[in-house]
Amino acid sequence: MAYEGLDFYDIESQLSEEEVMVRDMVRDWVDEEVIPNIEEACRDGRFPEEWGKALGEMGVLGMTIDEKYGCAGMSYVAYGLVCQELERGDSGLRSFASVQGSLAMFPISAFGSEEQKMHYLPQMASGEWIGCFGLTEPDYGSNPGDMITRAVEDGDEYVLNGAKMWITNGTVADVAIVWAKLDGVIRGFIVEKDDVGFSAPEMTGKHSLKASVTSELVFQDCRIPKDRILPNVKGLKGPFSCLNNARYGISWGAIGSAQACFHSAKEYALSRIQFEHPIASYQLVQNKLAWMLREITKGQLLALHLGRKKDDGSWFPEQISLAKMNNVDMALEIARMARDIHGANGILDEYPIMRHMANLESVKTYEGTHDIHNLIIGRWITGIQAFTRTV
Amino acid sequence: MGFQSKGCTLRGTGDKMTEIAVLVKRVPDTNAQILVSGDRVDLSAVKWVMSPYDEFALEAAMLHKEAKGGNVTAITLGNADCDKVLKDAKAVGVDRIIRVWDDSWSELDSNQAQSALANVIRDLGINIVYCGKSAADTGAGSTGPGVAERLGWASASNIIGLEFEDTGVEAMVPAATGNARTGVSLPAVISCDKGFCKPRKPNVKGIMMAKRAQVEVMSSDIPSSSVNIISHSPPPKKAPGQTFEGASEVPRVVAALRNDANVI
Repeated sequence: MAYEGLDFYDIESQLSEEEVMVRDMVRDWVDEEVIPNIEEACRDGRFPEEWGKALGEMGVLGMTIDEKYGCAGMSYVAYGLVCQELERGDSGLRSFASVQGSLAMFPISAFGSEEQKMHYLPQMASGEWIGCFGLTEPDYGSNPGDMITRAVEDGDEYVLNGAKMWITNGTVADVAIVWAKLDGVIRGFIVEKDDVGFSAPEMTGKHSLKASVTSELVFQDCRIPKDRILPNVKGLKGPFSCLNNARYGISWGAIGSAQACFHSAKEYALSRIQFEHPIASYQLVQNKLAWMLREITKGQLLALHLGRKKDDGSWFPEQISLAKMNNVDMALEIARMARDIHGANGILDEYPIMRHMANLESVKTYEGTHDIHNLIIGRWITGIQAFTRTV
Repeated sequence: MGFQSKGCTLRGTGDKMTEIAVLVKRVPDTNAQILVSGDRVDLSAVKWVMSPYDEFALEAAMLHKEAKGGNVTAITLGNADCDKVLKDAKAVGVDRIIRVWDDSWSELDSNQAQSALANVIRDLGINIVYCGKSAADTGAGSTGPGVAERLGWASASNIIGLEFEDTGVEAMVPAATGNARTGVSLPAVISCDKGFCKPRKPNVKGIMMAKRAQVEVMSSDIPSSSVNIISHSPPPKKAPGQTFEGASEVPRVVAALRNDANVI
């Protein structure tokens, strides 16, 4: 039986024909190629290379960027639906697409020179070149403004020194968007994998996002030509603009994880017999399933409305914080509740539950932790920022 | 990704542009639960898809174009609700999408449908038509041979392999004692079974092309209907399963499998 997403409020009626076509294209691919192979990829701790190429062939990498640069120029709602379907497969897969599109291609398209756009974007849209995004440092996660990585001018080059950590795709990336301070101001730089003084060792031992490559980026007198600076942005606005796009995608992606867990829990509850009846017939289990449906439906409406606002330009960043925070939170709770419904079976990789749960633990704290998003909203409510002791 | 097709041999390239058509039909999703309300099927809540065998026909048409050049026109018959299957075809790269319909029509019988399609195919100057071997809703399998008959063209049905020649195609068709390699000269109608190629998937750019594409609507003279549907009825309910417990039941199970189910 083909997978049918939960759509209690008939969200589909609010989608355009092409948005549905894009969703179904990715949904079918995830069903055919990802779900049968994801557990093995997780056990091996690798991101299958062919998945990146397939995403490029489907045209979903950087899909909101202009067609002029080899991208699709599609709506943010379509991008959200793609994230939803990819994360129904695995958060690591959606992370790959988020990093490529929102964190590596987006800054080039928004802040790059025309030459940079023409050079990098078509190759990245096709999946030929993989991108990564270097902002977080070992000692500066939620507080990137105090980053240590520095760039200095030296003739026709910039020289970078410093280290980044928790970088998705880092080891496999051809292109890294690196944020570093130049004369005390945060600027974006394009570093290529073969640049002298650049290395990207993989971080191992993860219990979460196992089918995703996570790396350090190390710059030791790394020299890059001067035309590799992103000319059109200065300060934290650059990386934060990228993060807004990625967080928006996560708000949809989490719905995909939640749907996978709900679907599995429902099927299991209907087929698992205890005390001579399916456990789905017991009120405690029905209460859990109803709660899941309720939260998924609210998350869908929130994401769709935010997507339409992204498309008409009427959004503001705090709305994205709310969506990312809420939807990941609900997805994680649903994964835990689904584990509970599955009983002991829930810990087996025969079911997707434990994998989604472990993944969502990362998703909860990357791209702005749950708590940081609360502080962003708290600042919006009160006008008082609570990130530092200075009020 | 596996978008490459298999089982089709592409030979050389011809000079002559071939006008290729593929017939696609909108049918209820093969997983849909079909309900009968009163004396008619109630399809108001079902999801609609392109008939699965038509997907293989569409792939064959695209491979033909890639091998020999030409244009691919996807044709469906029905009201505006059927535009989606044409958009689906456009998304994988057909050149032109045409819906055959007249608002004075309602349900057409097979004779009317085949006549309308044949007339439009003739008017379009088509050289070769691909279609699925049967539609997932009716399963009649009459459209391909019926259209060929009305056009006076060659017909190969249920093909399971295909090679493209300059003046025709070589089709592998099931025969009484195996498979028969059959040379078919153009013009021809080829109805396709599954399995000899892998239908390509759309990509986002194709979907954007489909969004912008205009569906052309063509009409045709059709003969008057000679049959009418009196009523629909659901298939009989499946008999409940039987439960056997314990080793002593084995002879009964074996007897049932041998005598009732005829499976051993």
